[in-house]
Amino acid sequence: MNRRAIETDVCIVGSGISAAMIAERLARTTSAKILVIEAGDDTVPLAQRPAARERFLRYNENPWGVDHLEGYEVVGPLQSRSMQVGGLAMHWGAVTPRFSPEDFKQHSLYGVGTDWPITYEELDPFYQEAEELMGVAGAQGPDDLDPRGKPFPLPAIPLTYNLELLKKWASSAGIVMWSQPAAKNSIPYRGRPTCCRNDTCSPICPIGAKYSPDFTWNALRKTNRIALTTRMLVRKLVLSPDGKSVSHAIAVNRDRPDEPVELHAKQFVVAAGYTWSSHLLLLSAQDKAPNGVANSSGLVGKYLAGHRNVQTTVELPLKLYPGMNEQHSLVTKQFMRLKSGSEYIRHDLRIWESSSGRTARLIDDAGALMLGDAILDDWRRRTRTGTARVRAYYDVIPDRSSELTLDATRKNAYGDPLPKLAFRDAPESESMRGRTEESIRGLFADMARAGNGRLLRAPTVDNFQDHPSGGCRMGNDASSSVVDSWGRTHDHANLFVVGAPTCVSGSCANATLTFCALALRSARELEKALPRSTTTRSGTVE
Amino acid sequence: MPTRRSFLASLAATVPLAVFVRRAHAAAVVHLQGDPATLDALALTVLPSRLGRPGIAREAASFRDWAANYKESAELVHGYGTSRLRSTGPTPLTRWTTQLDQLDADAQRLHQHRFRELSAANREQVVRDALKGERLDRMPTVVDANHVAVALLAHFYESPGAADLCYEAQIGRQTCRPLAAQSSKPRPILKVLER
Repeated sequence: MNRRAIETDVCIVGSGISAAMIAERLARTTSAKILVIEAGDDTVPLAQRPAARERFLRYNENPWGVDHLEGYEVVGPLQSRSMQVGGLAMHWGAVTPRFSPEDFKQHSLYGVGTDWPITYEELDPFYQEAEELMGVAGAQGPDDLDPRGKPFPLPAIPLTYNLELLKKWASSAGIVMWSQPAAKNSIPYRGRPTCCRNDTCSPICPIGAKYSPDFTWNALRKTNRIALTTRMLVRKLVLSPDGKSVSHAIAVNRDRPDEPVELHAKQFVVAAGYTWSSHLLLLSAQDKAPNGVANSSGLVGKYLAGHRNVQTTVELPLKLYPGMNEQHSLVTKQFMRLKSGSEYIRHDLRIWESSSGRTARLIDDAGALMLGDAILDDWRRRTRTGTARVRAYYDVIPDRSSELTLDATRKNAYGDPLPKLAFRDAPESESMRGRTEESIRGLFADMARAGNGRLLRAPTVDNFQDHPSGGCRMGNDASSSVVDSWGRTHDHANLFVVGAPTCVSGSCANATLTFCALALRSARELEKALPRSTTTRSGTVE
Repeated sequence: MPTRRSFLASLAATVPLAVFVRRAHAAAVVHLQGDPATLDALALTVLPSRLGRPGIAREAASFRDWAANYKESAELVHGYGTSRLRSTGPTPLTRWTTQLDQLDADAQRLHQHRFRELSAANREQVVRDALKGERLDRMPTVVDANHVAVALLAHFYESPGAADLCYEAQIGRQTCRPLAAQSSKPRPILKVLER
């Protein structure tokens, strides 16, 4: 059997947002040869996105073309089926809050969960770097709740007329809210235009005002600073004879599956997200690592983290105009910091404009069919007052058995078992779940009263743990973690796992910016082993 | 001599289903584009008069365009939290054109005229009769609308223009608009008309 070998300095597995961050930094600060391997296809070019968006709006069609691999139906709550250049961040909402300082020391402060091996303060410069690379627009919240070393790189997305009114309503309920940070251009930035409120950030921005990793990849490819190979699936990491490092990776070219490829590199970076990173390590079981690579702790695939949410719609005596910028929201971190001695109930809070309960209808209150002007008249009557969507993501402490395992009953086209996912709360979260959700319901009711409004429907709980992470959690102790605080695996000196899988907990906020900051911090460590760049490059990637 | 049923059965056996369905969709598009008068008359019956006749005609044309460009088995946007993929279903247009023909047939039976030739009141009665038994407890998405009259309504009422008409304001949902302007109350649509 022919076996093709490729040599490089750094081999990055995956091309999602964490991979883009790490590649951009290494390309800027080192002269290392960088190879990026993506199992999926290239993404839809920017020029084709307006048309793709149009079909999404009209028919709900997936605007991202062939963005998945066939035969990857897995058991459990996979966040998304997407697998292509740019990963899930091609269709993310670009909402970029930071975690709060408390997230990194839950055990020290509150006696629950596990402390991270780094503090918020240590991560702050990498948050900033990620925000500058992506172009995050944000408003500074109250300093004590929203500390940061430097200002946001871009001015905040302005509040809409609707959100200004809703902010006053929140204030009347004693809640301080501000503009949710987002990786969307509030001004032109790095060759990309200002957001023009197309309202379809997720799943697709038609003009490139929203950051997505393809912009970084395009720039790096244009300058030949990296090689990005698509349609190549990494199936196994092979260890050196002493088992202390990764010798090479075995991959399959999906177009020539009979010709396996060996990828030889000085440094390996697994940047394949919370599912496929752990999956690859487990698939790589071999004599020197019978339970999988980097898995001497037995924790690869364990402690999958995320957060549930409670949400509802509140009817308010306000004239609102839904559709001004539907994906923009207010946020507060007020409930992410516990009062001394209170129970461990932590959550964020967001408010969006909404058209829920205020859309046109076909039958009136008496059940009679309306046609012609009657529908419009009825609609106008019902929109004299407005509605707001409120949601709180609450903290869930992950259990060890919140896990990804290999599913012996399902295999991909190459005979590899697919992953199986199951999320489970740690006992301390499980015991608090009812009181947490009840507390949030009470908050929503208080907010409605403060605005002389009412809940349009009973708050619902989304059981899906959103913004998932974990599976290769970081820590200082090799027996209770998979990687160190830099993302380097405890077991193998030249193997890093970066971004989402390394998270210890899921906070109660969108996690992508944290994944990016962690990836950039990993890059800082990686570059120590690589030749420094001989040319001066700015951080400009577009 | 084969019966119609046996002929269709043998056709279905020899022509791949996808090809058969594509041809049915194409035939329905030709049917609708070739004789749009029944659909236009239906639009006049169910859409708000405030759109004006030209506006209603534009909405009917937009609906025809939506229907003509519908693709079967196209992958739908991915759901979060699942690896299951979903695709668009069979074309609704073949059913809708049949229903348009039925409106004509009902008009003929009740009033001895084609649907397009009826008075507004009679057209409305024919439509009301046709919608008896339909699920109407919510405005569906266009593709989920069983009856063409509801599909036409859904197509209009999910449009940015319908929201602007309802709120009598230039919201311009899902259109490219200056970001800075979002801090201000949307301007009334009357201002546009007056310009």
